Amino acid sequence: MELTDQYNFSIFRPRNKHGRKNRNVILTMLAIWVLAVFGFQLLLRVTEKPTPEPALADFDKTWPLFLSGSSNDEKNALLLKSLILVAGKTIVKPDDLRTLKGAVTTVTFSMMPDSVAEGIKRMTTDASEMRAQLASLRGEQYILLSNQVKGIYSNISGILEGYTGIRKGSLESVILAHSLSSETPVPDNISFSNLPGIMKLYLTHNRSELTDTVFLGFPFHYFYTAVFLLVLFVGLCIAYNILIEWRLKKEGVTE
Amino acid sequence: MKKIFLSIILFAVAVSAINAESLTQLEGSFKTGPAIILIGTLLTFVLVGVFFKARDPADYYAAGRKISRVGSGMAIASNWMSAASVLGMAGMMYGFGYNGLAYVVGWTGGYVLLLILMAAQIRRYGKYTAPDFIGDRYYSRDLRIVSAIFTILISFAYCVGQFGGIGLMFKWILGLNYTWAVIIGSSVVLMYTLISGMIGATKNMQIQYVIIVSSFLLPVFLMAFRFDYFWLVPQLGYGAAVTDIVQGIPAPNIVSGAPLVNAYGHDFAIVPSPEFAMPWDPSTGTTFFQWVAICFSLMVGTAGLPHVIQRFYVVPKVADARWSVVWGLFFICLVYWTAPAYAAFGKILSANPEVGALAKDAIVVYTAQLGNINSLVVGLLAAGAVSAAFSTVSGLLVAGASAFSHDLYVRVINPSSTPKSQLTVARIGTIIMALAVTIVALLKLGLIAQLVSVAFSMAACTIFPLFLLGIWWSGSNRAGAKAGLFTGILITTISITYFIAGLSGRRLPGQEFISYWLNIWYFAWIGAPLAIIVNIVVSLFTAPTPPEIKKFLAEQVHN
Repeated sequence: MELTDQYNFSIFRPRNKHGRKNRNVILTMLAIWVLAVFGFQLLLRVTEKPTPEPALADFDKTWPLFLSGSSNDEKNALLLKSLILVAGKTIVKPDDLRTLKGAVTTVTFSMMPDSVAEGIKRMTTDASEMRAQLASLRGEQYILLSNQVKGIYSNISGILEGYTGIRKGSLESVILAHSLSSETPVPDNISFSNLPGIMKLYLTHNRSELTDTVFLGFPFHYFYTAVFLLVLFVGLCIAYNILIEWRLKKEGVTE
Repeated sequence: MKKIFLSIILFAVAVSAINAESLTQLEGSFKTGPAIILIGTLLTFVLVGVFFKARDPADYYAAGRKISRVGSGMAIASNWMSAASVLGMAGMMYGFGYNGLAYVVGWTGGYVLLLILMAAQIRRYGKYTAPDFIGDRYYSRDLRIVSAIFTILISFAYCVGQFGGIGLMFKWILGLNYTWAVIIGSSVVLMYTLISGMIGATKNMQIQYVIIVSSFLLPVFLMAFRFDYFWLVPQLGYGAAVTDIVQGIPAPNIVSGAPLVNAYGHDFAIVPSPEFAMPWDPSTGTTFFQWVAICFSLMVGTAGLPHVIQRFYVVPKVADARWSVVWGLFFICLVYWTAPAYAAFGKILSANPEVGALAKDAIVVYTAQLGNINSLVVGLLAAGAVSAAFSTVSGLLVAGASAFSHDLYVRVINPSSTPKSQLTVARIGTIIMALAVTIVALLKLGLIAQLVSVAFSMAACTIFPLFLLGIWWSGSNRAGAKAGLFTGILITTISITYFIAGLSGRRLPGQEFISYWLNIWYFAWIGAPLAIIVNIVVSLFTAPTPPEIKKFLAEQVHN
């Protein structure tokens, strides 16, 4: 055998028994690693189904009625709640949020007399102007103006409670008060044509048994990925080291 | 004695003054407590750096191989846990939900690869730097030069995100604008690296790890306790918060008769937000493919990062190299198990519209602030984040400077240089690199975690295939290595070109296709496998590896 061939090796073609055992350990570890990480994500992908939140059904039912003018206060309240649930998500993109706020404003003001709506618009304008000033203030001045803004929004929430049924002090009432703009967009305006798409985007999620099962408080898939996989990685590393050292000792190899 | 007494009194006065502060704004003002802690922490680093100063190139590059397993594990963890881990990762989960977990898994899973495929073998091969290994294994001066250049580029790309993170924290603490914050932060980290070198850095890394982990964990314990989650192990306790986010928490949220509120007095409440936890939620604009591609790129990149690989040269024995990976990974996981908790609590605490939009990369600090955590503890958290960025940057600058002085200057430009001139060149290289990184960091090209992931993809496409095949296949030869490296560089160049074109508003042919499938944050998903395949194919059809290299591999590395 030539010298060149004598020392040929690869991970799949080790040179001796020790190498073959080493290869088996490495390939087993790799297989566990790949299956645990990517196999589970693939399983998640295969089992998931686009699942809407209940608010999407409410929206789909009430928005066409609102557009056609055949809605009533009860249905408007349902519609408003579905819009607020999306407007309150912190993940909404600025363009989508503008559309949502326009829709919230339109629906809200349609539920009250014009004179009340005008009063709220004025308060909203004042609050917006004050909020714009907040960025440049510090310390006491900031706290003072910030409290004034809070007071205005609290008053708005109080007024709205009587018309929308959304309780003052609830998170929904805060989101509603902050979503109102001083100008009422026209409902059939082109800007609302993409509202159903926006609602569907933010209210539909990929769910399955793996995401809906709760384990140690977590959604199971979240626990698996954020906690268990890391435990597994540490465990694999410890197992590998122990195994390798045990074999080296058994074979009398000194590194 | 009097001095100590005076110091204690001054500290107590400062603490009481700081405790009297209440949260008015998340940003914009000078924060006394955090500033004192940050300055104290930095001074400690500099003193340790001076005390353990590098005396010769061996110390500078490899800490004189005097580091224990646990110590090396701490250094690996500290070196590894950058601003991307401490700040960026929670920001990704806060902004992109489940897809942020691809970073958590990617940045830890890569260590399994590193351990079973590389750690001990690299230590047995016995070279100081990645270009050293590549030049020697592939008996090629050209490959040494190119890999040295790429080592510098990878370190550079990695540093950009770190300098951004340092800037964010300096901005938050000092109340400065981002530009000045980056400039000041960069100057401090440069000074420290120049003073200490790697032996100081390694000692500092151990101290930095303790600061990072304690400062990162403490606020989560406090928040879990305050908001009535299982606080004894908040790394599990926040799971209920994730489920609460999915289902929504109504307001007012009352526990034991008292309402749970954030620092602004807003209810601890949130509308149902399944998008935070559900996989590749459409509203986050992410897909299953992207999750897998990011995770894979980060894992493979981990096993190809020169400054990570370089850590295995500093341990005394081969077994130490293996166990230092285990310790390193465990220490890293302590932080990575905790980071999602910040995203979860941050999500709820910032749900009130009065809080307004928050910068994702600073969400860790904002969460602690909104959670009404004592400002000293928040200050310690910010100092920990700065420590994380510092420890990584110092390691990266050393790796970059090593590539410049050791692999380019000594091996190529001036082989007869003295140790003193080598050290001078290393320091000049460090300064040039730090200046260039500062300029790019000021451009704010992306989120910290995303910026750092570019370095991972680059390493995965270029360095990783050379190490993997160089160690595990004697048939991989110079021609194969060159072809594989060329393929990796080509994929990298295409991805970066399209990214820059996108930033400048230009549209190149297939812009959308490339921007999705060869995205700059995860192009290694295809780049790394392609580079490996090309390396194998070309090696099979060209002159074989010299017998002495095969013999060395068989007898020294694998025997």
